[in-house]
Amino acid sequence: MAEFDSKVPVSGMNNHVFEACHHVVKALRASDNNLDANLRKLLSDLEMHLSTFGIADTKVEDAGFSEIKKRFKEAVKRIRSWETNQSTMFEAGLSEADQFFQALYDVQTVLVGFKALPMKTNQMEKDVYNQATVALDIAMLRLEKELCDVLHQHKRHVQPDYLAVSSRRKDIVYDESFVSLDDEVIVEASSHEDDEQISDFYNSDLVDPIVLPHIKAIANAMFACEYDQPFCEAFIGVQREALEEYMVTLEMERFSCVDVLRMDWEDLNGAMRKWTKVVKIITQVYLASEKQLCDQILGDFESISTACFIEISKDAILSLLNFGEAVVLRSCKPEMLERFLSMYEVSAEILVDVDNLFPDETGSSLRIAFHNLSKKLADHTTTTFLKFKDAIASDESTRPFHGGGIHHLTRYVMNYLKLLPEYTDSLNSLLQNIHVDDSIPEKTGEDVLPSTFSPMARHLRSIVTTLESSLERKAQLYADEALKSIFLMNNFRYMVQKVKGSELRRLFGDEWIRKHIASYQRNVTNYERSTWSSILALLRDNNDSVRTLRERCRLFSLAFDDVYKNQTRWSVPDSELRDDLHISTSVKVVQSYRGFLGRNAVRIGEKHIRYTCEDIENMLLDLFECLPSPRSLRSSRKR
Amino acid sequence: MARPTEFQGSFLSRISIRRNQIVSMDVNHEHELEELEYFQKHVAERFSELITSPSPHHSSSSSSDAAAVSHPSDPILSIPWLQNLLDVFMSCEAEFKAVLSTTQISKSPSLERVLPEMLDRILKALDLCNAVVNGIDSVRQSRRLAEIAVTALKQRPLCDGSVRRAKRALTSLLIGLNADERRDRNSGGSGCSNQRRTTSRSWSFGTRSNVTGGGSYGQVVSKNWSATKQIQAMVANLVLPRGAEASGPVMPVYIMSSVMVLVMWVLVAAVPCQTSSVLVAPLPLPKHQNWASAAVNIQERIGEELKRKEKRCGGGGLMEEMQRMEKIGLSLMDFAERFRYPADEEEEVVVAEKVDEMEEICRGMEVGLEDLQRQVRQVFHRLVRSRIEIVSVLDQAPAI
Repeated sequence: MAEFDSKVPVSGMNNHVFEACHHVVKALRASDNNLDANLRKLLSDLEMHLSTFGIADTKVEDAGFSEIKKRFKEAVKRIRSWETNQSTMFEAGLSEADQFFQALYDVQTVLVGFKALPMKTNQMEKDVYNQATVALDIAMLRLEKELCDVLHQHKRHVQPDYLAVSSRRKDIVYDESFVSLDDEVIVEASSHEDDEQISDFYNSDLVDPIVLPHIKAIANAMFACEYDQPFCEAFIGVQREALEEYMVTLEMERFSCVDVLRMDWEDLNGAMRKWTKVVKIITQVYLASEKQLCDQILGDFESISTACFIEISKDAILSLLNFGEAVVLRSCKPEMLERFLSMYEVSAEILVDVDNLFPDETGSSLRIAFHNLSKKLADHTTTTFLKFKDAIASDESTRPFHGGGIHHLTRYVMNYLKLLPEYTDSLNSLLQNIHVDDSIPEKTGEDVLPSTFSPMARHLRSIVTTLESSLERKAQLYADEALKSIFLMNNFRYMVQKVKGSELRRLFGDEWIRKHIASYQRNVTNYERSTWSSILALLRDNNDSVRTLRERCRLFSLAFDDVYKNQTRWSVPDSELRDDLHISTSVKVVQSYRGFLGRNAVRIGEKHIRYTCEDIENMLLDLFECLPSPRSLRSSRKR
Repeated sequence: MARPTEFQGSFLSRISIRRNQIVSMDVNHEHELEELEYFQKHVAERFSELITSPSPHHSSSSSSDAAAVSHPSDPILSIPWLQNLLDVFMSCEAEFKAVLSTTQISKSPSLERVLPEMLDRILKALDLCNAVVNGIDSVRQSRRLAEIAVTALKQRPLCDGSVRRAKRALTSLLIGLNADERRDRNSGGSGCSNQRRTTSRSWSFGTRSNVTGGGSYGQVVSKNWSATKQIQAMVANLVLPRGAEASGPVMPVYIMSSVMVLVMWVLVAAVPCQTSSVLVAPLPLPKHQNWASAAVNIQERIGEELKRKEKRCGGGGLMEEMQRMEKIGLSLMDFAERFRYPADEEEEVVVAEKVDEMEEICRGMEVGLEDLQRQVRQVFHRLVRSRIEIVSVLDQAPAI
């Protein structure tokens, strides 16, 4: 009122009197509860009299009121001029916006002035008041539109280029027989690669900062006119839509629980990958920026800022939570371990951010939901991890593995384990309290790294122990002792190579590696003994007769043929190991044979000797080459 | 009521113990029958608590004492009533698990058939819960719009400006409440929200504005997902067990499934959610069965409401508070359209009463919706647990 009154210039003596009378009458009416009927009648007559007087007077003399009327009319005109204008004031320039806010201020001044006066004023004043409310509402509606348009036109998105999520990348493909996880796949399948870029975008602006003062001015104006609810509604609407649109940009589809349970593994794998990325971007970057924006605009109204922020983010948050909840409904298949691990890891990582986003009571349900989801993912991941071991233990074969090569179970398990060191921290915390029997129970001997005795390391070794027992069982299926040794040798060698050549080395430790090298070397010895000792015994001569010598030579050739026929079909995929085997066999066999022939060739007679030393040496090189059928191609070597 | 209904522990352990026990078939079956009978009685009692007036189908004997605990003040489909409904559901669910724990899965191949069907229904119910949680958010938006109208119409003196403002909020509110399909959405539309939706911005997301009107609460579950279809799919293979099966372990599964479908059906009718505006066909509940009579009664009453609403507009969103909000909203809208400044004093008084009532609804919704939403989430988590337990029961059952 003070503000309004101060703008009424006082002019002339008469005016003073009228004003004074007017005020007295108004004051009396304002407290008219105790006035008797006569007095009331008198007052209203007087009031009417004064007001007609006043109007006439105003027309003639009162420059002050007409000044206000003029200003008011101009203000309404300005506001009206923006009513249908589609461009934004922001575009039109700051002075335009200032003039609009000034017009709004003028209208508001009139309103405040009238409101401060007692209600029963004259008709003309009432009409002015009514017009003012309409003008105010038009202005508010216009500001609402301005808010939406400016926010929309000046929004900024976290660059989608940096967020490209290749959800189609293949990694572990589920296969009941463990056949699928081969060495090549691993090259592609290492995650975590985009993390660095995400951190660059922390607290990026969702709206060009240049418009913030303008938006703040809109907020202040609307709040001052008690249009705070429409402001929030509009603000929530635009920002919600922007977030929804952003989720579409990220290609984060919504899936129902039914969808998630029916999805085939490849699609689900892609969706899970995407989720881990999107959850991070949304909580750590987008929503952090959104909260900042809310605070920048509505910082003076803290609880309103919080409420708006929750309303804006809730829907997107719930859709992310729902996907997490749905995924946990899937059964714990071993092939899902890596995805579960990364989902769990992200869910645990973002808890800090979620706590910051929703620190108080208002957002507690969302905060708690994230914490619960993380717990669920933890349980599910642990179960999946433990089931992996069970799956290995229960993998049974009925027939011996062809050629004694590297069993697909070995490949699957070792390549699988190679993916896990990336999740060391998560796995250690998940497995912390789960006991497991470990082949290296205490810190002894050569291992000094603490990582070798971490819960994860113990569990990984235990998984490999399970694999070893499974391989032992599979080895028992071979009738041939030598092939059994080759099989074990191959598989143990493969395990050692995988551990040595990867991050697993720090976890398994040198002692484990040493033990396992010793183990496959024992198999090499076993092989040589079971294949060659009886054959080489034939070449040991004890002053035999010519006939016996010839017989021994013949038997040797037959036995050698037999070995050749069989063992060229065996497989030793590791070339280094194969070379070692060739050399050590060659040394023993060729030397013995050469000695035998040197001593006895003349007595036996050339025509009774089928193979020369060179023949034997060359033919030994064919062993373990996994040839498709027994060779007769080398017949040229025969005489 | 003497028995504990809050049985929370895994019934799995009980099953496996039982399976290894050598119990005489007769004793076992007798026990099963007892359990079944108790379960049916429990369902009947708890559901009859939800009806204030006695139903014509109702057998009065079992429900007389239960009526004492009921909340006769909560009108059907109101937020407190829906909360009671969810309480009833949770208690039936707990009771069901107790019943199931006494049955021997390995001896009942029929159970092995119906449990997976039930799992499937639970899964669909989970999606429905999510849709309802989101639908409640759209009701919350309606509440906010109603509050804008309340604030505007509380201004004194009532002037064209505040009536304009109220009219705008009411227009959005009524569209949101699905009440005013015929009204041109542009007329008196608000500054941006409506204009933005009608100007063809390229980033409009499918048909969502049809779903809940003014709100931007659209495809929340997934593309092409429909609450109505889910309910239909849930009842598709729901068949009343006959003959010997009617007294066997299949029966409680059937009853619990029916209860679950009914509760979901009610939620979907009460809360606007993705494509729930299509009239949902009545559920095939067995009227003549004791346990179902109260449930059937509830269903019939809601079915009538649904038909009435369907005739008037899209259907869906039968929540009592929403309906009242809509009614008051329409009359306030009527007032706003007729309004000429200065306000008629008498009319001003009438409007003030309505505005007060609207404010009262808003106040009730403020806490109620939050609680209801939390409870639906609880149901979600309860169903997840049940699902896990049933899955592990099925996993453990030896293959036949």
